[in-house]
Amino acid sequence: MDLSIPEEYRQLQADLGSFIDRELRPLEEEHLDPEEDEIPVELAHRVRRRAAELGFYAADFPEDLGGSGLPALGMVLLRETAWSSGSRLAAFATYGPEGPTGVLLAGTDEQKKRYLTPLITAEKSMCFALTEPHAGSDAQNIKTRARKDGEEWVLNGTKHFITNGKHADFALVFAANDPEKKAQGGITAFIVEKDTPGFAVGRAQRGMVDGEAQFELVFDDCRVPEENVLGGPENVGMGFYAAMQFLAMGRLSIAAMCNGIAQFAFDAGLRYAKDREAFDRPIGKNQYVQGHIVESLIRLKAAKLMTYECAWKYDQGDPVVQESSIVKLYASEMVNDVVDRMIQVHGGMGWMRELPLERLYRFVRIFTLVEGTSEIQRYIIAKTLGL
Amino acid sequence: MNIVVCVKHIPDPNLPPEMDGTRLKREGVQGVLDPGDEFGVEAGLQLKEQHGGEVTLVSMGPPAAREAITRGLSMGADKGILVSDDALQNADALVTARVLAAAIKRAEFDLVIAGVESTDGYTGTMPATLAEFLDVPMITFVKELENAEGNLKVDRQTADGYHVVEAPLPALITVTAGVNEPRYASFKGIMAAKKKPVDELSLADLGLSGDDVASKQTVKELSPAEERKAGEVVEDDGTAAEKIADFLAEAKVI
Repeated sequence: MDLSIPEEYRQLQADLGSFIDRELRPLEEEHLDPEEDEIPVELAHRVRRRAAELGFYAADFPEDLGGSGLPALGMVLLRETAWSSGSRLAAFATYGPEGPTGVLLAGTDEQKKRYLTPLITAEKSMCFALTEPHAGSDAQNIKTRARKDGEEWVLNGTKHFITNGKHADFALVFAANDPEKKAQGGITAFIVEKDTPGFAVGRAQRGMVDGEAQFELVFDDCRVPEENVLGGPENVGMGFYAAMQFLAMGRLSIAAMCNGIAQFAFDAGLRYAKDREAFDRPIGKNQYVQGHIVESLIRLKAAKLMTYECAWKYDQGDPVVQESSIVKLYASEMVNDVVDRMIQVHGGMGWMRELPLERLYRFVRIFTLVEGTSEIQRYIIAKTLGL
Repeated sequence: MNIVVCVKHIPDPNLPPEMDGTRLKREGVQGVLDPGDEFGVEAGLQLKEQHGGEVTLVSMGPPAAREAITRGLSMGADKGILVSDDALQNADALVTARVLAAAIKRAEFDLVIAGVESTDGYTGTMPATLAEFLDVPMITFVKELENAEGNLKVDRQTADGYHVVEAPLPALITVTAGVNEPRYASFKGIMAAKKKPVDELSLADLGLSGDDVASKQTVKELSPAEERKAGEVVEDDGTAAEKIADFLAEAKVI
């Protein structure tokens, strides 16, 4: 059993690290206020474009669509590297919810060329419009309706918490074409372009981190041509299946981000425990402080190892239903714990905006909620055990 | 244009150096392509993009030195030559130049690019010696270069500006760190590098004998650099500004 990181991934990580040091840190220093959360949309876009040009951004997508065919394990490591750097702009060096989604691989060749490739090259951005005010975890109970009218579909309903909703060039919208059937053939995914009449961006929904990231989307008799059904007209009712197929990669991505952030917080805490002196010795000599550091290290190591194993299995063709839920659940709870403990190690200084820890504390809270809450992950894991 | 770039595999300069007697420990430590050589590789790749041709990387070192060549190949170079032989373990700069010259002369070349000096040994003498063995003109400290129909035209960095120098090809140049932005390797580049040819040659393959590579120089002794002395702290009792001005005047800064 060889658990060493393959040389090609190690090199790629080193290159991403150089890119962050050489290009992103100076850019960050010039343009970002360290005490403010918000990052200008244009700046994020600029970083995405450059990272795509260099082949980092969506390296895991197929080569013929503009990616590099990087296996999931490589992508997990790249993402971890980006987030462990502590650079806020590095967050855009690998794609997020505004970028390409594996779900679009279920599209027709024409759809992939027209919609997926520009996402992989970061020329365009999208939004994933599934969640509704009354349907989050229970996604198959969405109320947005799709009604066939001639060669068009007419969409009506409201989506919310939609990341990048305001800036997206198109939305991937899930709507019920046959509410009775629910997930079994009753939900269709539509590609809806930005300026389609009847499609409007509603209010911005603010969260624990400042800035406008999530939005309401409103569909009012929005007419979408038949060819914009994901996978073509014969895939009406198959939207939910398409989305389910790519859940594992989404969960792995969250875990990789959590591992990266936890590593960054851990490094900061360990450094502080060695440097900061109180009662004439480094605070790291105190057993309570050591406890925070050691527990964090153990949990971080466990999360990383299970993430790598899950990604490796995924690359061997395993659907990793149980593993990806375990990984997402564990890593997201781990990062909340580690950031909390590292703030504790820093004492009052950890609470201050001068240091990045308080922002991370607010930021990581989302990870036990998105891509399936911790409760949903536990439910899935229990189901895989026949419970 | 056939471009040869000399590359060296060195212990990672970001880690504390480990010594083996009077020699730097090279085996069993994390090695990298000399960061100074990345500028040479980049310069070679840019010339290839403008004029076509091939970039060949040449290195001398233990088998692990192949890593440095692979790194350059993943940036976009076409092929590599690694000269590896137990008899070369104590090679000095003169021997290195002789060996590299023999390896380079095996094929036709238009331009040889080297770093100004290595980041580990710092003798800075190897490129000039190599130019002599190859019997080609040499231009040092190149910051800009252009190939105008078989004539090399370069801007050569000096302390207070730059010289514009021309030389016929083939020639050898050394490039200073910072002349360009060495490119990052992409996953595609890294994977492609695995399939690019690397010739591994012994001294016998180059027609050299043990006598040809006997070092003329030996390092007798090594001692650590003197630690920086603690600075002087000036407590401000109202005369601090004066004291600092005196200090700067003494140092001839003001």
